[in-house]
Amino acid sequence: MSDKNNYTDANQSNTIECLNISEKRVGLFVTCLVNTIRPSVGFASITLLEQAGCTVEVPAAQSCCGQPAFNSGDDEGTRQIAYQVIEQFEEFDYVILPSGSCASMIKNNFIEVFKEQPGWQARAQHLADRTHELLSFLVDVCNFKPNGVELDGTFTYHDSCSGYRSLNVYEQPREMLSTVKGLEHKPLNGHSECCGFGGTFCVKYSDISNAIVSEKVENVVAADADYLLGGDMGCLMNIAGKLNREGNQKITALHTAEVLAGLAPKIIGANDAS
Amino acid sequence: MNKQISDMSREKIFSAIQAAKPTITADAKTIEDEALELLKESEFARPQLMSADATEALMLRIDAGLVIGTTCEKISTLDMLPHSVKQFFNKNALPSELKVQSVEPLNKLNWQGITTDIDIVNDNTVGLCWAEYGVAETGSFVAHSGPEMPILLNFLPLYLIAVIPKSKILHYMDDYALIANEMAKKKQTPRNMCLISGVSGTTDIEGVLVKGAHGPEVLHIIIVEDE
Amino acid sequence: MQANKPENFTQNVTDALAQPDLKMIIRRTTDKAEAKRSDAIANFPEFEKARAQGQKVKDHTIKHMEHYLAEFEKNALAQGTIVHWASTAEEASKIVLDICREHKAKKVTRSKSMLGEEIGLTHAFDNSEMERIETDLAEHIIQLAGDPPSHIIWPAMHRSREDVVKLFREFHSDPTYSEEITDLVRSARRDLRTKFLTSDIGISGSNFLLADSGSSCTVTNEGNAELTITPPKVHIVTAGIEKLVPSMAHAIPLLRLLTRSATGADITQYITFHNGPKRKNDADGPEECHIVLVDNGRTKMLAEGMEEMLRCIRCGACMNHCVVYKHIGGHAYGSVYPGPMGSVLTPHLQSLEVANKQTHACTMNGRCEDVCPVNIPLPKLLRSLRAQSWEKKYEPLTNRFVVKFFGVLAKRPQLFQLFSSCSLIFMKAFSRNGWIKYMPFTSGWTRNRDLIEPETTTFMHQYKKMKKSESGGS
Repeated sequence: MSDKNNYTDANQSNTIECLNISEKRVGLFVTCLVNTIRPSVGFASITLLEQAGCTVEVPAAQSCCGQPAFNSGDDEGTRQIAYQVIEQFEEFDYVILPSGSCASMIKNNFIEVFKEQPGWQARAQHLADRTHELLSFLVDVCNFKPNGVELDGTFTYHDSCSGYRSLNVYEQPREMLSTVKGLEHKPLNGHSECCGFGGTFCVKYSDISNAIVSEKVENVVAADADYLLGGDMGCLMNIAGKLNREGNQKITALHTAEVLAGLAPKIIGANDAS
Repeated sequence: MNKQISDMSREKIFSAIQAAKPTITADAKTIEDEALELLKESEFARPQLMSADATEALMLRIDAGLVIGTTCEKISTLDMLPHSVKQFFNKNALPSELKVQSVEPLNKLNWQGITTDIDIVNDNTVGLCWAEYGVAETGSFVAHSGPEMPILLNFLPLYLIAVIPKSKILHYMDDYALIANEMAKKKQTPRNMCLISGVSGTTDIEGVLVKGAHGPEVLHIIIVEDE
Repeated sequence: MQANKPENFTQNVTDALAQPDLKMIIRRTTDKAEAKRSDAIANFPEFEKARAQGQKVKDHTIKHMEHYLAEFEKNALAQGTIVHWASTAEEASKIVLDICREHKAKKVTRSKSMLGEEIGLTHAFDNSEMERIETDLAEHIIQLAGDPPSHIIWPAMHRSREDVVKLFREFHSDPTYSEEITDLVRSARRDLRTKFLTSDIGISGSNFLLADSGSSCTVTNEGNAELTITPPKVHIVTAGIEKLVPSMAHAIPLLRLLTRSATGADITQYITFHNGPKRKNDADGPEECHIVLVDNGRTKMLAEGMEEMLRCIRCGACMNHCVVYKHIGGHAYGSVYPGPMGSVLTPHLQSLEVANKQTHACTMNGRCEDVCPVNIPLPKLLRSLRAQSWEKKYEPLTNRFVVKFFGVLAKRPQLFQLFSSCSLIFMKAFSRNGWIKYMPFTSGWTRNRDLIEPETTTFMHQYKKMKKSESGGS
């Protein structure tokens, strides 16, 4: 159990021997958007984690990380959700989410709502310590380098806010994507600026959100790439949805995991067929 | 009437603070020590100077264009000052009219050929002031109000010359602040202590920088090596 | 332009987004501010250490607020300053006005301070027999235009050069006929010069109050504070009680942070410490000096666990980097303080009931906290205000219902999975060519963007099927 904290600091991870990953139990929390809208991201996550040497389990009893309740200020509702997330996932050595914002919710916010319940707060902290965003986990903890992935074309990268600011996800996806044969990076102006999704924000303040995503789309179009990649389905859905509304079908939005797991051609093919 | 309001509000504010933080009590000495401890961090939390020598650092900063609207020169002795001032007039095509701060070292000088007691009524009159200190970190000069230092002299003219004795140039703002802290302890603070770093400027119209907003547009700093 | 009300936030936003060049107007200022700040930080590798020190200085002072307030009062009195205390905005502005009346003031010059705006000074003078003259160029412009401020550093950023040309021609006694910005600034210089010199009372705010000397500190680039304060017989300072620091040496690290974060400059041109009235034989300066120390919600913030907000040094970096502010501008917030810091402050200065919508108009992207020079966890504070709104039921019923409904499902994973599967069937019914253009209950989304068509079944469903076939096959 002593290795618990060694892996939490992304900056130190390079100096740590990453052994025995396969002996660790990794619980995958697929998140609700992946579950409903984009299951392939879930399968891509399993593929990558297994390639990195992990033994992956997907608990059947999973739902949502609680962000809608938390960001609405419903602390009691958040606790209700957090109880079951903690119970479902606390036994794992690592809990992995293919989303910076959901990972950050568990890592940084669960403890906030248990201020008056020290017992649960300790359990929330225990869970937080072993929770990681997928892409950063693959690089920082597993030292994973994708091998033999090919995809022809250019991509631009949107850094989702929670991953970028709360979890230091920046280099890791770029590092892994640089190994993909045939794929070339094109810089995105304002790459780390919010896309206007913001969970409930985008429906509550739809018009402000629209103004923000319109600008993001301008930048994405200006980047002149074939693919828009990112690590959060929320942002990708938002930007892709706006691109499509504006009649732009040239740019395909994909989760980085889908590309790294080699699923991109299949997804693009399916889209072309429809 | 207002005295009553004020007294009641004072009472309210202090009791609200006490009520908000019932657990924190510390004696004055503990608080002072804690405050002093915080200052120790300044050494590591401030920018590097362009030179280890304060005068050189100040001049390099100004020469690099980092102090808005400001130029500087160094003269070896104070009696060279009138000559430098005349050059300033020529360079800026100004009449030889000066408002000199009435301070001993400046009064002693030979101002032949320059009118030195013109009140600043128009933008052609140059102000000349004797700075209390210089600060290398920010390219500043410091003015203290006093019987011989009308603060407005630094603000009314469009052209300003500040003379800083080399011995009074400090490395960092902190060095000046520590002097000020000592003055406060001795209850000797002047009414105004102005840290002036460049000329009056504004970016209020469409973000465009314009110099000479209310005060000087041109500032020339003259450092005197030997007073 | 009439000031918007915070409670009309939704309408204010609609109005703002309908304004065709608002985005260009905002960006012309915020983009520059953002770029200059970023350069300034890049040239100051010690920034993180400075930020930690700045935060500690503020936290220390807030922790010992009572001690430092008493120290400040004692030392200000010793310098000959008359100290007043005000619990509310109304009290503060009444104290200021009464001082002016006692001196039979006709003309009052004022150097920009957001606290002055906060306590309603501008409005109070407009309803009095006295003439108020704003001396900061931006405040001068918005005074002529009759506008509320739209930014705490550049209050007139919403006004174009063309607007200024018109205003100056109408109101200046010797206006310029040039449209060059330099000439416009000269026109203001001429117009304000006589006003500075003939004013009866000068009012300023204070960026820092030094407890050990009773000094107040003004920070400007224009030098208008000194010109406002020095000539008149009376100087009045209005300052929030959170402006305290132990001494000048403690203000220095904060000054390093303030100017770099606000305008990207290493330092402002004028930093002046004002220590009471003119000393005997002084060449110039006011004969009488007052300071009004204002609470107006600050002790309430202390009591409600919002003390981190009291660190704020009013640099404006949070709004310059806020995606929401950048699209709706300052006026939409309906408060003197817009953007992230404003959304935290306004509920305390006014009430959460009128200003709770602003706390929700945030994507929680964390950029404001990232750039804050004193590490204020703005998203966390906004979130805790949302929690208060939820408790007090300020949230619209429909929102509460949706969140509650989702919560009920989310804490029962089996039910949640069932609901997810059902919603897919529903979504599928509205999909065309891989996209959903419209669907009931999602108008918030589909009104501005399309929704990706989901796969036929959920991940969990597919995963279970896969696992079953794996075990069946083996």
